[in-house]
Amino acid sequence: MPDQRQATAAKRPAWSRGRTPGAENPSSTTPPIRRRPVWKAVLLVALILGACVMFFPFLWSLSTSVSSGVGMSATPELIPDNPSFAAYAELFRKTPFARIIANSLGLAVATTVLQIITSSMAAYVFSRMPFPGRSIVFALYLATMMIPMQVLLVPLFVQMRNLGLVDSYLGVLLPSVASAFGVFLLRQAMNSLPRELDEAARIDGAGHLTIFSRIILPLVGPSIATLTVFSFMNSWNSFLWPLIILRSNELKTLPLALAGLQGQYTTRWDVMMAGSIVSILPMLAIYLFAQKYVIQGVANTGIK
Amino acid sequence: MSVGLSSASMSPVAGSLDRTKGSCSAGAARRGRRASRVKYALIIILFLAPSAIPLVYFTVYPMFSALWVSFHKWNLLSDMTWVGVGNYIDLIHDPLTQRAFLNSVLYIVGYFPLVYVGGLGLAIALNSAVPFRNFLRGVYFLPVVTSWIVVALVWRWLLNPSGGVANYLLSLVGVQGPGWWTDPHWALPSIILASAWKDLGFVMVILLAGLQSIPQDLYEAARVDGAGWWARLRHITFPMLTPSTFFVTVISLINGFQVFDQVYAMTGGGPAGASTVVVERVYDLTFRYSQAGTASALSWMLFLLVLLVTVVQMIGQRKWVNYA
Amino acid sequence: MSRLTHLVRLGLAAVVGLSLAACSNGTPGGTSSTAGSEDVTITYTNFISAGANEANLTKIVDAFEAANPGITVDVKTLPYADYFTALQTDIAGGTVADVFDIEYANYKAYQANGVLAAIKGVDTSVYQANLAQAYATDGTQYALPSSFSNVVLYYNKDLFDAAGVAYPAADWTWADEKAAAEKLTNQEAGQWGDYQPISYNEYYKVVAQAGGKYLNAGGTDTAFNTPQGIAAAKWLVEKSGTVMPTAEQGAGTADFDSKLFADGKLAMWHTGIWMFGSLADVPFAWDIAVEPGDTTKASAMFSNAMAISATSKHAEAAQKWVEYMTSSDVMVDTRLAAGWELPPISDEAKLGAYLKAGAPANRQAVFDALDKVALSPSIGDNQAQMQDLVTEQLTEAAAGRVSVEEAVAAAATKVDPLLK
Repeated sequence: MPDQRQATAAKRPAWSRGRTPGAENPSSTTPPIRRRPVWKAVLLVALILGACVMFFPFLWSLSTSVSSGVGMSATPELIPDNPSFAAYAELFRKTPFARIIANSLGLAVATTVLQIITSSMAAYVFSRMPFPGRSIVFALYLATMMIPMQVLLVPLFVQMRNLGLVDSYLGVLLPSVASAFGVFLLRQAMNSLPRELDEAARIDGAGHLTIFSRIILPLVGPSIATLTVFSFMNSWNSFLWPLIILRSNELKTLPLALAGLQGQYTTRWDVMMAGSIVSILPMLAIYLFAQKYVIQGVANTGIK
Repeated sequence: MSVGLSSASMSPVAGSLDRTKGSCSAGAARRGRRASRVKYALIIILFLAPSAIPLVYFTVYPMFSALWVSFHKWNLLSDMTWVGVGNYIDLIHDPLTQRAFLNSVLYIVGYFPLVYVGGLGLAIALNSAVPFRNFLRGVYFLPVVTSWIVVALVWRWLLNPSGGVANYLLSLVGVQGPGWWTDPHWALPSIILASAWKDLGFVMVILLAGLQSIPQDLYEAARVDGAGWWARLRHITFPMLTPSTFFVTVISLINGFQVFDQVYAMTGGGPAGASTVVVERVYDLTFRYSQAGTASALSWMLFLLVLLVTVVQMIGQRKWVNYA
Repeated sequence: MSRLTHLVRLGLAAVVGLSLAACSNGTPGGTSSTAGSEDVTITYTNFISAGANEANLTKIVDAFEAANPGITVDVKTLPYADYFTALQTDIAGGTVADVFDIEYANYKAYQANGVLAAIKGVDTSVYQANLAQAYATDGTQYALPSSFSNVVLYYNKDLFDAAGVAYPAADWTWADEKAAAEKLTNQEAGQWGDYQPISYNEYYKVVAQAGGKYLNAGGTDTAFNTPQGIAAAKWLVEKSGTVMPTAEQGAGTADFDSKLFADGKLAMWHTGIWMFGSLADVPFAWDIAVEPGDTTKASAMFSNAMAISATSKHAEAAQKWVEYMTSSDVMVDTRLAAGWELPPISDEAKLGAYLKAGAPANRQAVFDALDKVALSPSIGDNQAQMQDLVTEQLTEAAAGRVSVEEAVAAAATKVDPLLK
């Protein structure tokens, strides 16, 4: 049974229901009211069933991380026999944990901020400032995503050596200052904004800098929030390049430290899963934070 | 239904270019064309440089280094020897490489419809006023942030030929389940299923952002006109979502050709190369088989293929993507 | 606007030009630095301590530095799984450490490509003879062994007792193992008699056990497409589904076997002595024996080694460290106390503590297995490709998609060109 409060709220038209216009779907407005609770219940049940399937691996990781013993079971044991936090303790004891988190967090935040700045600026040009050959330049941007990263490792490493950036934060950071993914994402968002907006501003005498920072940027808030999530995630998870460029223990990031807990012949599944849980939580937090921002962002922009 | 389309006026890129250019030069005419054009160019350079310089330096440059390597035999350990286009010719005739390209294409053909339809359904469902909406969004996003090592373990268990959940469910409806990742014919579909499942949340997030950018007044106007749920979906949501859809399509294809982690974690390309894909070959050739030259050549073949596909998509978008 | 296109063109030209310079293998030289006229810092990249033994390595380094004033060892530890990716990048980029770890399987590739410096004036008699020899080419030593592990037959005593089967003995052959495995298998109860991975790492050894040869005398061709080679493949493949779970039942999945044994569902298990530690707490009695052979015994041995970079500027100090880390008493004592892999030394008296270090009781089998060792061929650049091809064909045969004879013939045909 759908709960009564929801059913009542749904009878009211969407626009009168609060300050989150974009957050409501058309489906919440029309179909005959008699049929709605049923459909809604079906939808909710389906969504919750799906969510269980989505949640399952997380649960399995959690359970394995508090099981001690040999090996990873071929079938998941969701309730471990002797739960223990030994794996987490080992994680904190065997790695300079605070330092590692600080490294990962610092790099992820720097990468995210830089990518948002560089991507939004480039996206503005590709959306609002035509010039001859623009689509070719844009295609070249996209082309940088198309070659397997694995084959770039060695040439990039040679280049970092020439720049003297082996074993430094800059060596990790520089290759991800710009993101063609981000440029493309934000360009699509800007292209969906009505051109009448900037034309009105231009008539008022605003230049490109003003239009970009005052009008366009605030309006692509949801997409910037999306980019924040993915930039952060990519940096937080990135493994192969930091592995190759970083050597010193003091500079190591979380994925490197976690990999370092595995031996030549044996895998400590409890430790690996504890690490997996520890690394998932910040990303989930960023996502939920971004979600909140998206809704507020849309509510506050006042475009209707 | 004309309401939706009139306000989201269809404006082909070329049209909007003229308009922007027109207003730009109209304002500048009085102060002199030349100065204004220089300023315009300077702004473009200023805006592009922060992304273009790092991309050229840290991606384009290594790409061309890799191109140079692709004309050599190189094991990373000693000096390179020039072999011209030899690596490319070898690759074209190598059955495993042909298999890898075929598998990469099959992967995309299987993966994209699943992940797009699923992601769109989720985005629409979780954009409506369902209870626990934010919690559900978080849960559906969980697999995106979970590492492939964990996801592969779970899926290998779900798709375990004997005693796995999938085959148990199939047996309930009287179907004898396949061997999944242990069977050459089912290894790739197993990878596709797991990948689509993991990436649903990714597509959902992108499309949610797109949905939330659709001006609400379009729906209100349509409602006043008496448009039903389906009509509004078809005439407002879909057209207004085309920029996001285009983005998801292009990115999925680019990423689809680069699929690696899931293959490595789930089947290692097996059984007997049945699920090998291009980037998995690239990694093996570079770091395990001491054939960095061949790997670079393979990467450039892949690059040219993906570029071609993307350019076709960029040209094709004019027919179906609605920009404001 | 034309300025922009010009810029792009200029950039591209620079890019192409630079790439020519960058890829010509750079300037050689380690990352080491000389602090004073006498003081040297040598860099050491390792995987051997990753996971559990970082602190033990530090202990040995400290003792070395105390014994060798003026030499500092700068240690970098990488996880084994990604170690060789990083090492190859370092070699290609000319930033490789003075001293680094290798393993026997890829020794040949590094040696043949001139990456390793010759190690001269070492008394190799302190090392087990076959281990020291493994890292010598044409009479010159290019690396020194740092540890070894071998593969033995683990068995669950409780399961043997319950079934009334005699424990594996030193004189067992394949026939004895097979008979016991059949008696100990109870598929309904999920209990299996035997487990042996179906892969290259087992295959070259069982070929030797069957009295065959994996490669011909010159190492120029495979020699396993013979009755012995086929018998060896059958020995592995025919266990699958009879006394050992199939791939469909989970065999080959990460840690499937260790879990099965630890759960008391597996009677016999072919695996390395590195599993001793993780079986310390299992609730049943277990022991080990030298692996049964067919016509002869042959045990697999894996070994790690330390090498000096051919580009090292501090080869002398580096060699002191390598010798210390592979043969000093401090190293032996530290390894034995920590249950870290076995030291490669020849003086078994020093290893006495190991024999009494707890379960399994028959630790003597670890040394007995060394009497007849089957070393993996080390063929150079194509090593990994060869291993993958053999494993792939054996897996195909185990899945029943090809016959054993076809699989062995196909493996031989595909591996032969890699030996040229």
